[in-house]
Amino acid sequence: MTSESTAAPANPGFQSETASHSGGASTDASLLVNDLCLFYGDQQALKDINLSIPRKEVTAFIGPSGCGKSTLLRCFNRMNDLIDTVTVTGTLLLEGQNIYANDVDVAQLRRRVGMVFQRPNPFPKTIYENVAYGLRLEGKIPRKELDDRVEWALKSAALWDEVKDRLKESALGLSGGQQQRLVIARAVAVQPSVLLLDEPASALDPISTLKIEELIHQLKSDYTIVIVTHNMQQAARVSDFTAFMYLGELVEFDKTDDVFTNPKKQQTEDYITGRYG
Amino acid sequence: MNPHISEQFDAELDAARSQLMEMGGMVEKLLRDATEALVDQDAALAEKVKLADKRVNQLEVDIDEQCVNIIARRQPAASDLRTLISVMKASTDLERVGDEAGRIAKMAISLADLDYPTDEFSDFRHIATLTHQIVASGLDAFARLDTDGAMRVIASDQAIDDAYDELVRQRSSKMREDPESIEGDMCIIWAARALERIGDHAKNIGEYVVYLVRGQDLRGRGKHQLG
Repeated sequence: MTSESTAAPANPGFQSETASHSGGASTDASLLVNDLCLFYGDQQALKDINLSIPRKEVTAFIGPSGCGKSTLLRCFNRMNDLIDTVTVTGTLLLEGQNIYANDVDVAQLRRRVGMVFQRPNPFPKTIYENVAYGLRLEGKIPRKELDDRVEWALKSAALWDEVKDRLKESALGLSGGQQQRLVIARAVAVQPSVLLLDEPASALDPISTLKIEELIHQLKSDYTIVIVTHNMQQAARVSDFTAFMYLGELVEFDKTDDVFTNPKKQQTEDYITGRYG
Repeated sequence: MNPHISEQFDAELDAARSQLMEMGGMVEKLLRDATEALVDQDAALAEKVKLADKRVNQLEVDIDEQCVNIIARRQPAASDLRTLISVMKASTDLERVGDEAGRIAKMAISLADLDYPTDEFSDFRHIATLTHQIVASGLDAFARLDTDGAMRVIASDQAIDDAYDELVRQRSSKMREDPESIEGDMCIIWAARALERIGDHAKNIGEYVVYLVRGQDLRGRGKHQLG
C-alpha cells in the first residue's frame, strides 16, 4: 500500500479552504477535491481533479467506461487503498479534514462515508442482523435501542413495510431491489454523512430502479450523495449536480439542469447526446 | 456537429427540421397570396388562402407528433432537446402566421365586395413587404442556425410595429374626414393588424434560433439586454 498525500494532516488551516473552491457548485462543500491524481502503478487514472461536492445534494458522475468515475468515487472512502499499486496525490477533504492524512482511521472514515455497489451484497444473515451488524461494531447497545435503530434504518431505506414481519428471515431471500435497499439501510444505520452509490440500480429491473431513485431523493435531505451511473437519464432524474469525466479528467461540473440542456463543453455535449467524440 | 452514433436518430431530427422548413415555405406563400389578394381585391385568391391554411394546420399537428415520438423514444438532451423544443415552438408560431394570413384573406373577401379605390394601399404594401422579409429572414436563420441573422430578425420587428402604428394613425384621420370609406379602411386596419402579429411570430422564431444554438432564452428581455 503506497497511498500517500502531498498535504499535511488535517489542521485548522485546511478548514478555510472549503469555502474557497466551489468547482461550479455554489452550495457549501461536503467533499472537496484538490489537484487529485491517482496512479495504478505507472498508469495515471485520475488527472488533477478539482471538485467540490455540495452538502446534502445528489452529485452524479457520468462518463464512458474507464473514464475514472468509479475510481474517483472510491477515493472518497479510500477503497482504492485495498489495491497495492495505487498512489494518490493531492488532497481530499471531508468536512474540512484531509481523509488521506496519515492519522486517519480508515475504518472510521468508511463509517462516515458509506458505500453501495452495483450488485446487492447483503451478508448471509437475517435481515435484522444485516442492519444491526455495523451498529454492533459501535459497542454494546441495549436491545431496545438496537431494535429502534434497525427499524429507523429500514424505514429510511423505504424497506420497513416490506420486511417488518420477516426480520428474522435470511436477507438472501429478498428480491434484488429489496436487497439493494437493505444494503442502503445497512449503510445509513451507522449514520454516515456521505453515501457513495456505484451504479446502485444497474442490476435491477425498472420498477426496483425507480424505487431506488425515489429513495435517493428522500435520503438527500440527510446525506450528501454521490452516484456513479452509466444511465444518463438516471443521472438527469436523480442528481442536482453532474460531473462529466473523460479519460481520467473532469471535463465539466455543473448543475444537472444545465449539463443536460446546455452543456458548456463540446465533449460533454457529444457524450450526453450520443455522438462520436 | 458530429453525427450521432445512431444514424437513425440523425435522420429523425433531420426529418423534423425539414418538415418545419416545408411548413415555413407554405406559410410564406400563404402570406404573399393573402396580401396580394387584399391589395388586388381578389376574392378567388383569398378563398385559396383559406383552404391552404387548413393544410398548414395539419402540418403543425404532424410536426408535433413527430417531435413527441422522438422525445419519447430517444430522450434527447442538450442541443438535440433544444432542437426539438424549438421545432415544436416554431411550428406553433408558423401555424399562427397561417391563421393571420387567413384573417387577411377574410378581409380581402370583404374588401372585394366594397367599391374601394385600388390606389390606396401604399401604407399596407409597406408593412406587407417588411412582414414578408421578417418571415423569410426568420426561417432562413432557423435553417442556417444563424444567431446573428436571428438577432436582426428580433430587432427588425420594431419597424413593423412602427409602420402599423403609423397606418392606424393615418387611416383614423382619413376615416374622420371621409366616413364613406370607413368599412374599407377598417378591413385594411384589421389586415395590417394581422401583419403586425405575424411580425411578432417571426420575432419568436428568431428567439428560438438563439435558444437552439446558444441555450439562451431571450424571451421577456428588454431591447437593451439583447445582444
